[in-house]
Amino acid sequence: MTRQDTSANETTWQLMSWERLERLVPLLILVAVVAGIMLLASQFGIVQQRRVTLGFISLISVVGLYVFMGNSGVLNFSSVGFMAIGAYVSALLTMRPQVKATFLRDLPDWLAAAQFDPITGALAGGAAAALVALVVGLPIMRLSGIGAGIATLSILIIFYIVLGNWTGVTGGQRSLMGLPTYVTIWNAGLAAIGAIVLAFVYQESRSCLALRASREDEVAARSAGVRVVRERLTAFVLGAFICGIAGVFYGHFLGTLRVENFYLDPTFLYITMLVVGGMRSLTGAVVGVIVISTLAELLRLLEIGGRLPALDVTLKAPAGLGDVVLAALMLGIILFRPQGITGGREITLRGMRG
Amino acid sequence: MVNSAHSEHMHRKPCIWTEADLKGCSDMELEASGVTVRFGGIRAVENVSLRFGIHEIVGLIGPNGAGKTTLVNALSGFQKPRSGRICLAGKDVTGWRSDALARHGVARTFQAVRLFRGLTVAENIETALLSTGLARSAARARARDILGYLHLSNRADTLASGLNYGDERRVGIARALAMEPKFLLLDEPAAGLNIGEAEELGQTIASIRDDFGCGILVIEHNMALVMKLCERLHVLATGMTLATGTPTEVMADPAFKDAYLGAET
Repeated sequence: MTRQDTSANETTWQLMSWERLERLVPLLILVAVVAGIMLLASQFGIVQQRRVTLGFISLISVVGLYVFMGNSGVLNFSSVGFMAIGAYVSALLTMRPQVKATFLRDLPDWLAAAQFDPITGALAGGAAAALVALVVGLPIMRLSGIGAGIATLSILIIFYIVLGNWTGVTGGQRSLMGLPTYVTIWNAGLAAIGAIVLAFVYQESRSCLALRASREDEVAARSAGVRVVRERLTAFVLGAFICGIAGVFYGHFLGTLRVENFYLDPTFLYITMLVVGGMRSLTGAVVGVIVISTLAELLRLLEIGGRLPALDVTLKAPAGLGDVVLAALMLGIILFRPQGITGGREITLRGMRG
Repeated sequence: MVNSAHSEHMHRKPCIWTEADLKGCSDMELEASGVTVRFGGIRAVENVSLRFGIHEIVGLIGPNGAGKTTLVNALSGFQKPRSGRICLAGKDVTGWRSDALARHGVARTFQAVRLFRGLTVAENIETALLSTGLARSAARARARDILGYLHLSNRADTLASGLNYGDERRVGIARALAMEPKFLLLDEPAAGLNIGEAEELGQTIASIRDDFGCGILVIEHNMALVMKLCERLHVLATGMTLATGTPTEVMADPAFKDAYLGAET
């Protein structure tokens, strides 16, 4: 090999590694943003920290929703149901046996006596959600459009009814209390970063490119050899795993589980977050959670009311203003910026990338 | 990347199949035998038999609504025939899913092109390459080769939604070529192109056959292009086979003159 060849090869190698590095830029920026929020919030009081922690939990769930809905373009109302599965499975595995004896008298003996550590509980919660997604996903992954919307909404309803009536295992309509509350801003923030990394790695995979192709044109994707049902199922299961983890954190954040917490309100909140941010990109999922969480928090404070000392006026918004504003924002985005704030692009150093 | 060795085996000699020939297809053929497709009460395709081999360019012509696209849909697995068989390289593939047929060497384009508009041109091609089992880096390199072959190199990083009409059609062909097809089904590739562009496309199609060694079935209304390009024609009218043969034979066929040219002019 001549000297010229060697230098040419080196240049190619450098170009390739730079290209590879450049692909990671969106991930690095998103992780830095979440880490920044985590560090900043840790300087504030416990009340603010808890609001941000709740935001991180929303972030995990919305990232889980994005993995399937954003990449497949198929409507999904069931993600909160998978949160519920994660939350209840982890609760049952990590609660103290004495507490279980109080609230859940009909558990099988081995489960009643067992107590696992939080990490085992969390992974089992995520895995259970993924497993259920695999089973229910098989028949419904061939649907798209309004059919998929109705099918996934039906799944959410079924989960809700089953969990709400399986009194022996979930406590049914009563609240399930006494979950170990180990969630802090640190572990929730790290889990959010983990979810982002997982979603990004998936997004760069060949499976996800095939899924995105099917989102653009399902018929053409089949003509390009894409196994549409299989690729959708992969994303559905991965998304359910991430949502399951979000549910685990939610349960151990509140310490109490109620089935109502896993029904329509959070479903629409998370979908709003994803759509407002831009459902075709991971950046969109993250931006949506940040924007909506911040806005919801401001509106909540406004509804509580408060005095602005500087202007000497008392602000008090009518109850329900928050929900109305969020709904109006969703409407505005769908009408005027259907690809969301990010336009469905990922963030880069130069701005937004297609 | 171009397999020019195949061009030596190129058969320009026209071959016309009789009913007796249509009993089974050889390793090198894609065949529809006795295919019928109905939509409700409407017979879209009625008892049509057609087969073509690799290195062959066959024109599928007929007036609008004759069932040409339906037949291509049946051949590529997008439409399950009510009766009849589809046979690929000696294997009965009736009822196979379209994506499986695509991975086994039957690639197609669409009249409406149907690119993945939100993806880049390179990603459009890579999607097809990856489903044939290539690794990511190999797919990236091969995509550049295929785009270069179709003079689309400078479009690689453009979003497919931003292409002009002619480029869009070429990317559609590039995506089908990325499947490494043994049989390529082109649904009106020259629609909307001007005379010069259509002529250029004709040359591209001929060279694809030579360089990739695949058989090509082309639905086309542009008769000048069809006459020049195809060794054999299959004429459909109201879902049924009206005539088959070399372009000259078909043009001389009175049934063809009545049904096709009569209807068109």
